[in-house]
Amino acid sequence: SDFNIEPLPDSDLEESSPWTSRNRSEPTRHIACKKAARNLVRDLLEHQNPSRQIILECNPGPGILTGALLKAGARVVAFESEKTFIPHLEPLQRNMDGELQVVHCDFFKMDPRYQEVVRPDVSSQAIFQNLGIKAVPWSAGVPIKVFGILPYKHERRILWKILFDLYSCESIYRYGRVELNMFVSEKEFRKLIATPKRPDLYQVMAVLWQVACDVKFLHMEPWSSFSVHTENGHLEKSKHGESVNLLKQNLYLVRMTPRRTLFTENLSPLNYDIFFHLVKHCFGKRNAPIIRHLRSLSTVDPINILRQIRKNPGDTAARMYPHDFKKLFETIEQSEDSVFKWIYDYCPEDMEF
Amino acid sequence: SAASPREQHVLREWGHAELLEVLEARVRQLRAEGTPEMRVKKVQVDRPPQGHSSRWAQKLEAEKRVKQRRQKEVDQQKQALTQEFWTLHKEPKIWNKKLAGYLQPSKKGTPTNSEEKQLAQALQAALGRLSSREAEALARKKAKAVEAQILVLQQKFLAFFECCVCTGQVPLAHHVLVTHHNNGDRQQVLTLHMYNTVMLGWARKGSFRELVYVFLMLKDAGLSPDLCSYAAALQCMGRRDQDVRTIQRCLKQMMEEGFQPQLLFTDLVLEEEDRAALLRAVVKAEPAFRPPPQAPSPVNTSTLLKDIYSKEGPVSYPKLHLPLDTLQDLFYQQLHVELSSSVCVQSVEKAPVMSKEVIEARKTLQALREQWEVELLRVLRETKATMGRQAYEGQPTLYPFLCLLSEGEFVSILMQVLKVLPAQGEPLIQLAHNLGLRVLNRHLVKQKQVTNHVQKLGQRYSQYLQLLASDTQVAPCLPREYWESLGPLEAPAQQPWSVPVLLQLGKQLAELLVQAVQMPRSLAARQGAQRSIPVLYHVYSFRSYRQVGILKPHPAFTHLLETAAEPTLTFETTEVPMLCPPLPWTSLHSGAYLLSSTKLMRATEGTTQHQRLLEQCPPAQLHGPLDALTQLGNCAWRVNGHLLDLVLQIFRDKGCMPLGVPPPRSEAPRPARYQLPPGSTPVHKSELRKELARCLKVAREMHSLRSEALYRLSLAQHLRHRVFWLPHNMDFRGRTYPCPPHFNHLGSDLARALLEFAEGRPLGPRGLDWLKIHLINLTGLKKGDSLRMRLAFADEVMEEILDSADNPLTGRKWWMEADEPWQTLACCMEVAHAVRSPDPAAYISHLPVHQDGSCNGLQHYAALGRDSVGAASVNLTPSDLPQDVYREVATQVEEFRQQDAKEGLRVAQVLEGFISRKVVKQTVMTVVYGVTRYGGRLQIEKRLRELSDFPQEFVWEASHYLVRQVFKSLQEMFTSTRAIQHWLTESANLISHAGWPVEWVTPLGIPIIQPYHRESKVQVKGGLQSITLTSSVDESQKPNTLKQKNGFPPNFIHSLDSSHMMLTALHCYRKGLIFVSVHDCFWTHAADIPTMNEVCREQFVRLHSQPILEDLAKFLKKRFCSVSSIKSLKSSERALVTKLQETLQSLPKTGTFDLGQVIRSTYFFS
Repeated sequence: SDFNIEPLPDSDLEESSPWTSRNRSEPTRHIACKKAARNLVRDLLEHQNPSRQIILECNPGPGILTGALLKAGARVVAFESEKTFIPHLEPLQRNMDGELQVVHCDFFKMDPRYQEVVRPDVSSQAIFQNLGIKAVPWSAGVPIKVFGILPYKHERRILWKILFDLYSCESIYRYGRVELNMFVSEKEFRKLIATPKRPDLYQVMAVLWQVACDVKFLHMEPWSSFSVHTENGHLEKSKHGESVNLLKQNLYLVRMTPRRTLFTENLSPLNYDIFFHLVKHCFGKRNAPIIRHLRSLSTVDPINILRQIRKNPGDTAARMYPHDFKKLFETIEQSEDSVFKWIYDYCPEDMEF
Repeated sequence: SAASPREQHVLREWGHAELLEVLEARVRQLRAEGTPEMRVKKVQVDRPPQGHSSRWAQKLEAEKRVKQRRQKEVDQQKQALTQEFWTLHKEPKIWNKKLAGYLQPSKKGTPTNSEEKQLAQALQAALGRLSSREAEALARKKAKAVEAQILVLQQKFLAFFECCVCTGQVPLAHHVLVTHHNNGDRQQVLTLHMYNTVMLGWARKGSFRELVYVFLMLKDAGLSPDLCSYAAALQCMGRRDQDVRTIQRCLKQMMEEGFQPQLLFTDLVLEEEDRAALLRAVVKAEPAFRPPPQAPSPVNTSTLLKDIYSKEGPVSYPKLHLPLDTLQDLFYQQLHVELSSSVCVQSVEKAPVMSKEVIEARKTLQALREQWEVELLRVLRETKATMGRQAYEGQPTLYPFLCLLSEGEFVSILMQVLKVLPAQGEPLIQLAHNLGLRVLNRHLVKQKQVTNHVQKLGQRYSQYLQLLASDTQVAPCLPREYWESLGPLEAPAQQPWSVPVLLQLGKQLAELLVQAVQMPRSLAARQGAQRSIPVLYHVYSFRSYRQVGILKPHPAFTHLLETAAEPTLTFETTEVPMLCPPLPWTSLHSGAYLLSSTKLMRATEGTTQHQRLLEQCPPAQLHGPLDALTQLGNCAWRVNGHLLDLVLQIFRDKGCMPLGVPPPRSEAPRPARYQLPPGSTPVHKSELRKELARCLKVAREMHSLRSEALYRLSLAQHLRHRVFWLPHNMDFRGRTYPCPPHFNHLGSDLARALLEFAEGRPLGPRGLDWLKIHLINLTGLKKGDSLRMRLAFADEVMEEILDSADNPLTGRKWWMEADEPWQTLACCMEVAHAVRSPDPAAYISHLPVHQDGSCNGLQHYAALGRDSVGAASVNLTPSDLPQDVYREVATQVEEFRQQDAKEGLRVAQVLEGFISRKVVKQTVMTVVYGVTRYGGRLQIEKRLRELSDFPQEFVWEASHYLVRQVFKSLQEMFTSTRAIQHWLTESANLISHAGWPVEWVTPLGIPIIQPYHRESKVQVKGGLQSITLTSSVDESQKPNTLKQKNGFPPNFIHSLDSSHMMLTALHCYRKGLIFVSVHDCFWTHAADIPTMNEVCREQFVRLHSQPILEDLAKFLKKRFCSVSSIKSLKSSERALVTKLQETLQSLPKTGTFDLGQVIRSTYFFS
């Protein structure tokens, strides 16, 4: 007979599925102001030859910025998640100097991690192949520039996902050191650029981003430069009261360019998870002396390691700069003290979202 | 406290041997620390510095001074320790002025003879009624809801007091009680139960003075004494031979509070000695008093069980096949096992080649273990001393817990846990819980030894065996009835500790492990002056945003264990089947294992509601389930040795996944390479990493399957050539399960095939036919055919059957293609033996033959709703061929699909030719048990992915479409099922919204409550890390409505199928059959199949002839809509109750199905 030894599985009782389907009606923002768009074009293209650059624009919406970019002669790939906008974009292709390709896809939901089968319409590999984008080595220059506005509800989640993609060289980072130009909220912006000088903001994310990328603040844009789009076309006060407030926040444009030297030493897509774990562990008890963390993280003699990186055993995680963490990791990885260097074990749950 | 000199003297006697030991150990330790210094000093004194080497002299002098000072410190410390230990509080501070007055004179040093009188007076005062003002205060106190964190503290206190009393440290308990009582704020924590516990401790010692103190404190705290409080006071008086008047006054007061003296003997669980003392006291005061006679065990009056408990009619309960002295001997073997607390079993894993490396590793491990045992002992003693000191400062530390077992036992528990710690580590919460439970279980067993229970059990059990043995003559009766007729045998009442207490203890023990267990930095190098490093590491792991503490062994240690490949496995006694018949279930406290406590109703740790409901049940109400569980446990088993040999052969070779024999680690997939050449790009590394991760994942899954099989097969090998028993208990819906987890008949095909009945029965005239039919059923080949056709098919393939039996691994391997290959093989062998024996009818068969309910959940729904169409599709109506509900659903879905395809629906067109029985089967089966569309879609998605020619890009859409169609078809076919499900869900929804968890009583009388609540969180602080305990079974939380309402229909149906199974079991037993079950699959000997089939149908009809839904509605109405239950509700909740009342009145309509037809339905169970 078929039966189940265990009592009823609870999971079946829960109808709710992950975040993807639930947030259909979440409002999105687009650049609405022409002047802002012109400024952005300047920021994005800098002084390089526009026709040699691929700009990947996430959710262009009405296409104000797209138009400006094309006018400047750039090659633009628009990733639009909302079907209704696509007809608005297509006419832009005709009367401009640049080149435009439109893809119906949500950039931020591309390449979901830890799924056995990835549907082709959310697989970067399939999409990029269609677009004819080729990978370049990590040591080469920036192959693609991405511009987007982080959906405010999932900022953290997306920033984490990108970090995993970056350190593991997956998704867009298979194609080289892709440069991100993202509008983020003030809160996340402050956290991204925090250092030990701001202990209230300095967290795991700051370390991991700053180790991986050159994080540069470009400029602040007032909320009035953006338009808001919702599924039913207008914002209802009662329902979106909270979101209205959030939408009235100014946004900060940050550029994140992966470092050429990120993988030149011992850190690599093979062991980055250990590095993540090290940093998370240290910030778990951020005011505990670093030596205590090392004792439960590594089997290598901690005193010796600290001497090599010129840190005091009594120093706390909160006082170490991002590059200190990298140095710490590299030093342990290099040490020939012991066959087993880390207590940590690979564990897939460590990285779920 | 200002104690008089006389008091001081008394105090000194308070010290307990255990404590003295600790103290001495600490002093020894301090001395040891001090010794070298003292020796050095002595040398210096012997040879005073000479000459004028003044610098040297100065230096030495300075050193000497330092050492002297240190020595002095050591001495002081020693002294301080000694003093600290000796001052224990005894006299409480009484806050209530009136009560305090009675204690005053003693302070002035009244002579001893009047002290008695004064105490009696004090007690008298304490007994007095509370004034109305005090009563009000008390009521206020009670009404205040206790916060979760306070509750944890209270549990800790109570367990502390109980452990103190267990280990004979009543003075310490008293001291801590007084310390907290004296502090007005902290007094809030103390509960009546705590005062009672300490009082009982004093009562057992006959210490009247201290008892009176506690009684006073209890009153002073504004609590009102209950029956236990009076029992303790009277017991104490009984032991001391107190004067008549005091006892009389006490009794009088007790009766005024509404407790009749008889209650002392009926409502309390007392140990024999306590009971005698109590009786002495009562009789002294009232010479005419006799304890109420043991009431004759009340008889169960349920109509369904009338036949079982009637004294008339033929009864032929089966006896065991073993003679009395064999059984007697088996009992002692099992007793020995349970007393020694764990079982060592030889591993069946292929032994490693004894290379130099292996020998070396084993030697190293041995040496390390010896070292660790010494070190653990030292750390344990140190911790005990520290905690002892803190306890004497008035804190409820873990000290008495650490005294429950001998130090050696603690060390051996810790060593065992260390041995089984997985390489990837174990979450601290799990490890701590495990450790706490081990200590608790061992403590409970030990308690039974201390109270002489073991001896009494031995006597009682040998009397009991008279009923079961093959060579004795006893009038047939049920095991429980017989056991009860032998008189009461009360095991000491044992309360398990709460989960936070378990965790606290476990965490402390885990910390000892981390501290004590070390190894040299390099294991390869010879031990010498190397620095030691810890073996265990406390690391955090990060699961999305949560942080989980883990204890992880050093990889070098894991490597050492792997190299050593030690050949033994250790099991807890309750993980191994029993070697003698289990104790019959006589109440929810006693049954199954001889000494280890087993729950009658299994539940997640921390669930108390089931226990509470069962306790409130009148004892006779539970007779049905108790007797059914006893009987399931009484079935004697043996291992099918021939089959085990074959399995082991494959297991030790390369395993075989299709046959359910997991391969060894050497067969795990390996990445093409582990390292990349220098200069590889990050993208290459990324790809290698993916590959490594995939291999690791597979390897880990394989490892866990392999370990599970290793446990199972090693236990089977251990039990080969033996007879053994699988004690049973049930879940909260009444479904029954064998208690031993690794090796039982509920497992996979392989596990089932390894087991057979220890007792054989001749096949008789039709037995061989049933064996053959069973064989074909196991192959899954002829599901749609009649029994006659299956039998004919068996004869047709007899060649194959015999070949399989004779050359299982070398022949044509026909059995390997079967649905249940190993059971098929076992059956092939049985058939071969039978057909080759001179007289097949006389062939003694041990093989269990199964009869399966066809979609049992739907059978119950169809019967409940008298739904003719549904009933026919699940074989409740007689028919020439078995009906297949899965195929019917598939057909119906296909009709819908064709329609949609015609209308141009793309997904319906794509699905053409892919809708089969297999695609829908799992979903149909689980819909009855509450699977939702979400879960159903996942199931179908899995099936579609397995179809290689199905266009995979349509999987999501197609599964979404199909699950809708399956639900739709089921609704059309089982109209009443849907109505009943809806009615149940709606009722549960209303009950839950009004704030209650759903409750009901099964037709056999089991009280059921759904343990689904909103999550509660409790922090267990201190030590290595804080542990946050989340519980979804906490009754003080509001019910989780989603789970309550979705869970009700399936749980209700499960409570019916378990009732049906138990009824069948009991009636089969009365007819002398051996019967066991796997829920809706019933097993017996081939010869007895016709009888079992008859009983099974009869009981199904009888069960459903009861007004089941009406009874349920009546019960729910009484429980949730009565005046008393809605009294405390808000008006919004009352509206819900009104609505509930309406819902309960409109029962779902029933159809016209004639239930009696089931009797003649061949394929109802087949």
